[in-house]
Amino acid sequence: MSHREITVTVNGAVRTATVEPRRTLADFLRQDLGLTATHLGCEHGVCGACTVLLDGDTVRSCLALAVHADGHEVTTVEGIAEPGEMHPVQSALWESGAFQCGFCTPGFVMTIYGLEQDARAGRPCPRSRTEIREELSGNICRCSGYQAIVDGAEAALTAATATATTTTEGAR
Amino acid sequence: MSSSVMGGFVGARVKRREDVRILTGTGRYIDDVQERGTLTCHFVRSTVAHARLVGMDVAAAREVEGVVAVITGEEMAALTNPLNLGAPIPNLLSPTYTALATGKVRYVGEPVALVVASDRYVAEDAAGLIEVEYETLPPVVTSEQALAEGAPLLFDDVPGNVIHTGEIEHGDIDAAFAEADHVLTDRIDQHRWGCAPMEGRGGVATFDRSTGMLTYEASTQTTHLLRLLLSGFINQPINLMRVVTSDIGGSFGLKFSIYREDVALCAAAKHLGASLKWVEDRNENLTAAGAARDESVTIEAAVKADGTLLGFRVGMVMNNGAYPIMPPAPVVTNIAGYMLPGPYRLPAYRFSSTVACTNKASYISLRGPWAVETLIRERMMDMIAREVGISPVEVRKRNLVPVTEQPVTSGAGFVMEGVTASETFDRLVEMIDLDEIRAEQERARAEGRLLGFGMGTFYEPAPGTPEFWGLIGFPFSHEPVRLRIEPDGKVTAFTTQVPHGQGHETTLAQVIADEMGVAYDDVRIVFGDTDATVFTMIGTGGSKAGMMATGGAMVAAREVRRRVLDIAAHMLEANPDDLQIQDSVISVKGAPASKVALAELAMGCYMAPGMMPQGVDLDLEATVKYDGENGGWGQGSHACWIEVDQETGRIGVTRYLVVEDCGRIINPSVVDGQVIGGVAMGLGGMLLEHSAYGDDGQYLAGTFMDYLMPSAPEVPEIEIVHLEYETTTMVGSRGVGEGGTVLAPAALLNALDDAFAQVGGKRITATPLTPTKVLGALGVIDG
Repeated sequence: MSHREITVTVNGAVRTATVEPRRTLADFLRQDLGLTATHLGCEHGVCGACTVLLDGDTVRSCLALAVHADGHEVTTVEGIAEPGEMHPVQSALWESGAFQCGFCTPGFVMTIYGLEQDARAGRPCPRSRTEIREELSGNICRCSGYQAIVDGAEAALTAATATATTTTEGAR
Repeated sequence: MSSSVMGGFVGARVKRREDVRILTGTGRYIDDVQERGTLTCHFVRSTVAHARLVGMDVAAAREVEGVVAVITGEEMAALTNPLNLGAPIPNLLSPTYTALATGKVRYVGEPVALVVASDRYVAEDAAGLIEVEYETLPPVVTSEQALAEGAPLLFDDVPGNVIHTGEIEHGDIDAAFAEADHVLTDRIDQHRWGCAPMEGRGGVATFDRSTGMLTYEASTQTTHLLRLLLSGFINQPINLMRVVTSDIGGSFGLKFSIYREDVALCAAAKHLGASLKWVEDRNENLTAAGAARDESVTIEAAVKADGTLLGFRVGMVMNNGAYPIMPPAPVVTNIAGYMLPGPYRLPAYRFSSTVACTNKASYISLRGPWAVETLIRERMMDMIAREVGISPVEVRKRNLVPVTEQPVTSGAGFVMEGVTASETFDRLVEMIDLDEIRAEQERARAEGRLLGFGMGTFYEPAPGTPEFWGLIGFPFSHEPVRLRIEPDGKVTAFTTQVPHGQGHETTLAQVIADEMGVAYDDVRIVFGDTDATVFTMIGTGGSKAGMMATGGAMVAAREVRRRVLDIAAHMLEANPDDLQIQDSVISVKGAPASKVALAELAMGCYMAPGMMPQGVDLDLEATVKYDGENGGWGQGSHACWIEVDQETGRIGVTRYLVVEDCGRIINPSVVDGQVIGGVAMGLGGMLLEHSAYGDDGQYLAGTFMDYLMPSAPEVPEIEIVHLEYETTTMVGSRGVGEGGTVLAPAALLNALDDAFAQVGGKRITATPLTPTKVLGALGVIDG
């Protein structure tokens, strides 16, 4: 099988690699770059464990190909906070005791992180618990029954919305 | 034993230390093991349910660049011993089989060959070139087919396809039915559903040629059992076999067993002298890993005119799938049989069970494997209420045994003590206004809406008693813990529990910190390495951690603490009883200036024992076993409110209330997480999930688009009340992991019956509760 050279900015660092065109973005991240936080739960786009950001949008890295990311920016769980620190989304989920086995966790963190970025930027984001549950419907968690994840997401989004409001008011 | 004095950690909502690596993505799940030189494995699997294997051409696959080996069933059989996972159990016809199929295949997904390659893409390319020739045989899919006269036999040595039959009898059952005012009967055919952890099975087997050592890093919940059985199956001396786990992405019973893939992988690693990885994909997990809850139960109840129970006569048929694995089938039918009378007074009882083998993947354990007993019993309690004209509350109150009237003999004939199902039920009832619920249902019906309300109660062996487990025939033995004070005064404890989401690293550290008088952060929990931990048959399972491992941690901490105080008493010239340990400093109570740091004492014991007090035990490491002190029983009562959409057949769960009693709560976040997650699994299992097979034995739910998992919008907010009735055991806690999954299906089914009863709908007797069945029962469609 032929190979292609790709250049992807992953968590701020430019990475160049030679991959088969059929190689998934998830395998590229996990195996070629050693970024194993992104997990594979179903490999057919249902469970959401492999969710990453591609140019700021949440995508399922099991359904994307590495060559799709050529020339683009990818953010994974490893890239949202400094080593040894937690992003506010992670802290909020920790406070709420959101997860149990942790396998689905990176996917949820990235989905909620994506929503939180919207909230910070003043873009529409879910407010009610019902809306949050709808937004999280693309991620499956087998352990937790979701309630504590919703708690954490709600706290993180509320805080981010408050930040956005403050910033907007400050700008006035 | 007296209750311990607790410091500040037990009972506190301590944030889980596991979450730091979970949230930052630094965990080590099995596919994250990416050691240099590791080869990847892929299993070729049967595409048919029942067939003779007449030929296999692997030549082309062996030629693919990057392929290291292709191993067929016969070749694997030469490397391994025949597998049998139930041989010592009396009256169990557990057939012997090979690691990869030889001669016959007996379910879709059965492994027939193993490809070892440099990379998963290459392995799957090569697998696609393997030609397998099958001569198909008639498939046996349902228990009825398996047990029918003249049915095709799966195994030559299993006549009638019956692996096991069992009988439990207590009291005079014939007399009970003779004096009954009412006799009611019911039947439930429970569908097959699966564990479906987000991480499937997998392992990395590494054989070191220089030492002969085989290390298997696996996604398992029972390291020592896996080591014991694996070494036997692959002829590996057990002292040259090590099983290791790191983070595990859920299990729910799936990873309790040992699988043919484990055996094949380790045998191949030994044979090739290599490091081999296998991580199953979701299709393999759904198709081949096995599933559970594939049972039919009939129940007859003998009842007095006022609703008092006189006797149950029960028959259970379990569809075991093709190959018996751990836990052996009789364990499941036995627990179901002994638990079925529930927390009720039941004078007479007869239970008979039959386990049949069929052309499906193996029956495995699933969170509360015995749960069908609660499903059928709690539905029967509601049926009785309707029959005699009392409420579902009243029928239960008339039959429950309050804790003050215990110990009593359970309906199945063993001692029941400390069971607070009656108390959790009373508390549940206090929070429910049944009259208002009925009024609301009437108002809703006037608007064309259909509401249902259901409830249920139960108790579970969490951990139960030695007497109970003796009846079951399951080695639910003592729980060992090894604990040591390190030279710097920090604490390391080794548990044979294998956490896969339950937060043991946090809760056991909470317990030990309080017992030892050290900081929570100064306690580290080591798990999942058979080279470091003490042997026990069972790792994590059966809610064993909450009471048994916690007890082990307490006993170990108290033993080491006693030694520390004996040493310090000499150093401080005080009576050990007058000493305390706080913040890792041992001091005389009331005279804080008279003190010695734990680190100083420990350093002395390790580095200068000759200079330490003599005549006392200077060994700061202890290995103990906790016997569970006759155990305890988890219990709970649930209430479920639903709305049935009469156009779509959708069942929406609108409110869910749990009153739970697991005794003393070590960490409320962990306990609530277990309860909520358990309820979600129970509801998902009943409403959405179905490991479905076609008439030809083909598996029909091989993706998450066919096997539907509950996501956040499908699961209601769950309200929990805890009773915290403390038993007289040292620990005061009981297991809480399985109850949600056991009881939620019953509460849900009762709610559905309640809804249907209002509009003359038919009762559903076969789960899952799909929209099609709902509409059929309501007469909207034929069904």
